[in-house]
Amino acid sequence: MKFSITRQNLHQGLNAVSASIPAKTTLPVLSNILFEAGADGVRMSGTDLDVAVRIRVAADVEQEGRLTAPGKKLQEITRELPDQPVEVATRGDQIELRCGRAHFKLNGLPADDFPTLPEVSVEEGWTAEGAQLLSLIQHTAFAVSTEESRPVLNGVLWELRDGEMRMVATNGHRLAKMTIPAESSPQTTTQLIVPPNALQQVKRLFDAADAVRIAREGNHLGFVSNGTEVYTRLIEGTYPNYEQVIPKDNDKFATVQRKPLESAVRRVAAVASDQTHRIRLQFSEGKVQFNVLTPDLGEAHDEIEVSFSGEPITIGFNANYLLEVLRYVGTEEVKLGFKAPERAATVEPVTGPDEEALDYLCLVMPLRLVD
Amino acid sequence: MPRTIRILPDSVVNQIAAGEVVERPASVVKELVENSLDAGARTIEIQLRSGGKRLIRVSDDGSGMSREDALLALDRHATSKIGSAEDLRGVPTFGFRGEALPSIASVSRFALETYANGEEVGTRIRARGGTITAVEEVSRTRGTTVAVENLFFNAPARGKFLKAAAAEARVVSEAISALALAQPSVGFSLTSDDRTLLDLPSSTDVVDRIGALWGEEVAEQLLAVEAREGSLGVRGVIQRPDATRPGFRRAYLFLRDRPFREPSLLQAADRGYRTTVPREHRPWLFLFLEADPATVDVNVHPSKAEVRFSDRHGIETLVEDAIRTALEGEDSAATLDHRPRAPRLQVRERDAGAHGGEESEEESQMALFLASRSPGEPASQADSNVQAREERQGSDRQSLDRPDGEVPPRLWQVHRSWILAEVRDGLLLIDQHAAHERVLFEEIMRSFQDGEEAGQRLLFPLTIRLTPAEFQVVEDLGGLLLRTGFEVEGFGGDTVIVHAVPTPHPYFDAERCFREMIEELAHGSELVRAAGNQHERVAMSFACKAAVKAGQILDPREIRELFERLFETELPYHDVHGRPTTVRLSRGELERKFGR
Repeated sequence: MKFSITRQNLHQGLNAVSASIPAKTTLPVLSNILFEAGADGVRMSGTDLDVAVRIRVAADVEQEGRLTAPGKKLQEITRELPDQPVEVATRGDQIELRCGRAHFKLNGLPADDFPTLPEVSVEEGWTAEGAQLLSLIQHTAFAVSTEESRPVLNGVLWELRDGEMRMVATNGHRLAKMTIPAESSPQTTTQLIVPPNALQQVKRLFDAADAVRIAREGNHLGFVSNGTEVYTRLIEGTYPNYEQVIPKDNDKFATVQRKPLESAVRRVAAVASDQTHRIRLQFSEGKVQFNVLTPDLGEAHDEIEVSFSGEPITIGFNANYLLEVLRYVGTEEVKLGFKAPERAATVEPVTGPDEEALDYLCLVMPLRLVD
Repeated sequence: MPRTIRILPDSVVNQIAAGEVVERPASVVKELVENSLDAGARTIEIQLRSGGKRLIRVSDDGSGMSREDALLALDRHATSKIGSAEDLRGVPTFGFRGEALPSIASVSRFALETYANGEEVGTRIRARGGTITAVEEVSRTRGTTVAVENLFFNAPARGKFLKAAAAEARVVSEAISALALAQPSVGFSLTSDDRTLLDLPSSTDVVDRIGALWGEEVAEQLLAVEAREGSLGVRGVIQRPDATRPGFRRAYLFLRDRPFREPSLLQAADRGYRTTVPREHRPWLFLFLEADPATVDVNVHPSKAEVRFSDRHGIETLVEDAIRTALEGEDSAATLDHRPRAPRLQVRERDAGAHGGEESEEESQMALFLASRSPGEPASQADSNVQAREERQGSDRQSLDRPDGEVPPRLWQVHRSWILAEVRDGLLLIDQHAAHERVLFEEIMRSFQDGEEAGQRLLFPLTIRLTPAEFQVVEDLGGLLLRTGFEVEGFGGDTVIVHAVPTPHPYFDAERCFREMIEELAHGSELVRAAGNQHERVAMSFACKAAVKAGQILDPREIRELFERLFETELPYHDVHGRPTTVRLSRGELERKFGR
């Protein structure tokens, strides 16, 4: 293998791939990046066996070939190389870099030791706009569960229906759901459970302007656009019926300025218990009152104006959950819906004239209030 | 009509009294040694032959007696130590009944040699079965030697109950150990058939004496205890929880310098240890109590082995609290140090020559543990050694118990199971699961009191099938489960629905915790059997099942939060199973290890 590449291209490729390399691994080849020089340039691949990333970068290939080489070392070197073409060549299992007067030889491992990336043919799949995809991931992936007893909740549910795409994530305490109109796909109704790591790579590697081809092959999902490929294993299992837990009969609604609400929650939560972060919200005509009472610590009381309709209600929340969904909802005004103190509350964006309408809904389960 | 009621002759009365006071060689030794101590002896030598059955000899260098006093001492109820019934309250000396010497003399061949300063010549008195057979002049140094030969030669019924020589010698050794603990400034030696059983040099520190009695490693496992409440006080040393073992224990209680037994105080001490040691462990205790003499009755038993406190609840609470407080400190943590610093427990040296009835006696006895206190200061003030120690602890606490102080300690997670903390005085290794158990246990116990625990409602309630026994537990516990955060509803049959769960940490598996906890509560376990009541049972089980597990990767923020919350608990160094949460390695030990 022998090729010449600009420092920028090499650096960009290494940066894109090295984020998928595991920090610690018992399998040495996984700390390496696979280089494959072919007619259309050089492809670099990295994987932690769950998620794989492959990037094609432009290069003058003199001699085709394959080799793996240590990813972190190459990245460190390339970061500091002068802005001159880099000559890359292999000699046996060694990779050689020449750039200006700098000359490096690094020990690599045979390309055949590198795991084979999943074969997913994107011709069978569907296309999503980068912007849409990123928005879906941005608004939902935060809500996945970190607890490992129910693996399906460790992933983001991705539903493809005729004419729309939806992502849902929950840890059983709060839930985020977002729907976006999409071109109809051949795989009309598909439910995929995607590990959030893969979605983070997608978010990192694709631009809003990209048209991303997506396809499923067996237990793998592939994302491809402009020479950048992300493959991931899917989480197996049946996602719980989230539709069933979305309240349809909430009858008390508060519309409130998001920023003042966030500030109020944050300041009263300073006095909340470190473990439960429990705060108490009391909604009534024209206002919401905040009350926190933590034995051994103290109490906090606050009040802000809201527009509220329905019977007054007092409800407890984990302040962190509330702050989190408020942050992701993001609009200037938000709408909160309630039925009863032990039932799920809904949080939805209220789009202003300058904001883009979103089909976005968050649920927050309350904390039980003991009196 | 013949007279049936007679006044007994003195010899018979003495033999009857001997039945109460003189049971076996050990009781003779105890009486004689106490007399020596009351005489202000600095060195006491005890010799036994055949475990004391053939010979007991106790020699001291105390004040000695004049011939008149010596003869009077062999009269029953002849004592120098009290003069009237009023003096009985708050007797400062060991002996006061005036029974011991005549009683011993009445059941043995007895010889007493004594010389007091100012006398022309010493006195030797011999007696046989209580009858004085000779009074001679003798030349000797100041002090008294009592030799008791052929104990019970004239009371064969009692003699028969004596055990083998070795067993009797062991009991004597135990009796001396107890007295010697309270009197570290007095040197003791005990030989039995020319073999040295005890050789205790004079010291100012009780911990030195403990080391001399049972080895340095025992002394190094100790932890200082001190508390005071009104006129009641306790000082002493106790075993560090990680050093405790099941089975045999050494537990010594002293009121002023008298050893005494009181099972309820040992139970109070064990209550102080609860949750810091496994249930079957028996911590070693050396506790010196103080109380207003007017509130203590020591005249319960002729051998004064028992003491009655008028404020019994007060003294028990004080002991329990003192131990609990000691276990809160960093010194109670397990350690990797090869030679951990032993605590010091100083006692005042006895005034040589201080004898019963003298004006200074009450003073010196009350002040026994207050070494450098100048006369006239209130007795409740700790001596400067104790203060110095507290200052040192106080500064240690700043670096540890208040991790958010000037420089928060650096923390690392190692092997996904332990937290390594760099503290001023060395390193702490913290078991993440054990530490979280302690945090959760105290949080739940608090929430049982103030009812402030909140359950997170679930979007997808858990449906859980239980065995009938487990279902019963859930029904019985209802309210307590709710306080832990579990909101449970029957679903018909043995199935329950869990609507709300606690959220102790982000990796918490509520279903598994609930199942394991209910199973443990239904079928019992070592842990829940150790609990003192239902609240503790539930809190312990919950803490154990809900705490973050070993193997769980924690992010730096979580590590810090766990560390900080651990040191906000009452007993940060001990988990709920009686294992340590923390092992420390001092900087000094590190330096030693690296040869610096």
